[in-house]
Amino acid sequence: MRHRYTLLILVLLGLIIIGWPALATDQHSESTQPAELTENKSNANGGGDGRTGHATDTAPTGEHDTAADQTGHGHLELGTLLPLWSCIPFVCMLLSIAFFPLVAPEFWHHHFGKISAFWAALMALPFLFVYRGSALYEILHIILADYVPFIILLWSLYTVSGGILLRGTLRGAPIVNTGMLIIGTILASWMGTTGAAMLLIRPFLRANSYRKSRTFMVVFFIFLVANIGGSLTPLGDPPLFLGFLHGVSFFWTFNILPHMVLVAVLLLIIYFILDTYFYRKEGATPPDDGAKEPLKLEGTYNFLFLAGIVGSVLMSGIVDWGEINTLGVHRAVQDWARDGLLITMGILSLVATPIQLREDNDFTWFPIIEVAYLFVGIFITMIPCLLILQAGSHGALGFLVKLVVEPFHYFWVTGTLSAFLDNAPTYLTFFNTALGSFYAGLTEAQAVPLLMTENAIYLKAISAGAVFFGACSYIGNAPNFMVRSIAEEAGTPMPSFFGYILKYTLVFLIPCFVVVTFVFFL
Amino acid sequence: MKFGKVLFYTRFGEMAFNCLEAVLELKHAGLKEVVLTHVIPQEDVAFVPYGGYLKEEAERIEETSRIRFGEWQKTIAENGVDSKIRIEVGGTNAAIMDIADEERVDLIVTGRKKRTLLEKVYVGSHILDLLRRSTVPILMAKYMVHYETDDEEFTRVNDHIFVRPLLATDWSEPSQRARDALSAFKGVAEKVLIAHVIGAKISKGLDQEALTALRVESEKRLEAYCQKIELDGLAAESHLAVGRTVAEILKISREHKATMIVLGRTGKDWFNEYWLGGVSHRIAELSELPVLIIP
Repeated sequence: MRHRYTLLILVLLGLIIIGWPALATDQHSESTQPAELTENKSNANGGGDGRTGHATDTAPTGEHDTAADQTGHGHLELGTLLPLWSCIPFVCMLLSIAFFPLVAPEFWHHHFGKISAFWAALMALPFLFVYRGSALYEILHIILADYVPFIILLWSLYTVSGGILLRGTLRGAPIVNTGMLIIGTILASWMGTTGAAMLLIRPFLRANSYRKSRTFMVVFFIFLVANIGGSLTPLGDPPLFLGFLHGVSFFWTFNILPHMVLVAVLLLIIYFILDTYFYRKEGATPPDDGAKEPLKLEGTYNFLFLAGIVGSVLMSGIVDWGEINTLGVHRAVQDWARDGLLITMGILSLVATPIQLREDNDFTWFPIIEVAYLFVGIFITMIPCLLILQAGSHGALGFLVKLVVEPFHYFWVTGTLSAFLDNAPTYLTFFNTALGSFYAGLTEAQAVPLLMTENAIYLKAISAGAVFFGACSYIGNAPNFMVRSIAEEAGTPMPSFFGYILKYTLVFLIPCFVVVTFVFFL
Repeated sequence: MKFGKVLFYTRFGEMAFNCLEAVLELKHAGLKEVVLTHVIPQEDVAFVPYGGYLKEEAERIEETSRIRFGEWQKTIAENGVDSKIRIEVGGTNAAIMDIADEERVDLIVTGRKKRTLLEKVYVGSHILDLLRRSTVPILMAKYMVHYETDDEEFTRVNDHIFVRPLLATDWSEPSQRARDALSAFKGVAEKVLIAHVIGAKISKGLDQEALTALRVESEKRLEAYCQKIELDGLAAESHLAVGRTVAEILKISREHKATMIVLGRTGKDWFNEYWLGGVSHRIAELSELPVLIIP
């Protein structure tokens, strides 16, 4: 573990050492200043980064091209310059996540941090060498404005929800199981899919330990609690939080409620039928193993900290306390305040919750550390891809922007890629594709409000696609592999990677998504 | 009190078997059964990022551990002691304490982990956590130790660890429990050393008369401790020192050739223990001798 820390620190130091002098030079040399730095300065003076979700810029409606010309948006210019092959490290990073766990799980388990650092360095070093200060700005921007708040939110949700323990004897009959899935689906939007999954998976497994057919139960748990349930708020699923960071308002995601309810109801009905069938077929009777422990929720004070997390995120979307410059990146004060409050909530939970309770929950830092390592690589490698997509038809991925035009295109393309790549970067990719398609030339702060109103159906398609399709494979969303790991450790046989897709995704999920497409996106 | 059933936790370090052999001397003091325990850390086999659980790897480690323990069981049997094997996947400390609870052991024996500077400052080793939380006496065994004193480096082999245990007492209730626990060494200990240190903070503000009164009172108490131990059938001798508690205890242990240090667990709160460290934990960390902590 120490080696990974060292490696990451070295990479980050390397980036700063290579890029910093260039940034300093650029800042002092007006004649050689790249366009994006001029724009940064004008943002600093004008009080807006222009790419921060809560920036104070106001968007002129219409006349987008004119606005682009007038602002001379340097970042977008970088997007028109970058070649397509600059996305190769990002693709390799995602392919590493997809294939290493399949073909070399032990190697991957012990070296994923180095692999992540390798792809990050492969993108960042040449990028810094060629674009110097502009590249450093982009890297610092994505780290400070996206990665840091993203990890802090996940950490705080994981820490707080890990302090809540459901004890007691539950018997896994169809009604009880369906009830647990409904509760988990509802909780997921408020404590994160990871939090809800970690809270309920062990009681769910214990309740059904006497049942023979348990595999399908865990798969439906992944479908509903670890994915689809998280589609209502930015707290629910990482892609939606990234959207929030980029300016999508907190409650906008409630627009996906009809889509989420439709899929959840369909899946719950299927689940109930399946569970009832197997319950009767097995003729299973709950073991009479003595005294039944009454159901009891421990560590309930952690719900206060969860409320604190919700409040902090909400607050950062409502207030405007101006901006501060951090290493050349302008971030809203309320965003820093939110991050500080989230950390405080996590620390309060750690202090208030007895270690014994966390141990009974089998709480471990390992999954969140893994996510932190992998996502620093993902976020750094995805920079060229995002910039190119932001450039819209002027970028090297203009063909993709032109191909993806209808809402159902967005739903299925975002979804299909989310199924096999992590859904958070996929969301951001198509979020930028939509911005590039409709509002090329506008700053993000100008374009996102328009996307939420004028073209809301596209944002719904991207959001629903990223969240729903995350359930399609073990690698679609981080909680999927955690649930799988816990289930296997507890002795529940889980399908292989392809078995999961062939036996469950294609049979149960995809038909539901087809229904969603016909109802909402055609 | 007897240490009839001992949980021996190991990560199969280089000296682990020698350490076990040293512990087996307790057979002369009533040791009946050893629970050989290995915990496969959850993070070694579970939560493969975007993968799952390394079932085959877990099974391989379990089988390897079982083979190693099988060899050890032969030695244990030769000493006329029973043994059983417990191998679990999970959080190390939680698993050790769960097994100790299930098996109703009288003593947990664990090795020590070399700690990095970062761990020393911020994290604390899992041993420290065990020492803090266990409800069962814990022996932190150290078979071969390299240490430094007076700018010289030494290597010490702790192979007869129960011969001259040193009880460091602050007259607290845990210290009294530690004193009572020493009766478990009857049959294996030659002499018990009892030490008390009048702390520098206490002695600093006292005049000569008050200090003398404190010394007399301390000697009286030490004598009472010795008598209690002698009543249990063990020889005892007392030592009184003034100064910094941890340093003085370490000094006495070296000067009087102690083979182990026995302490009651200080009742500091979590914050103090974690960030500042109690006397017991500091000694557990700094001494070259095995340290037995009685909760």
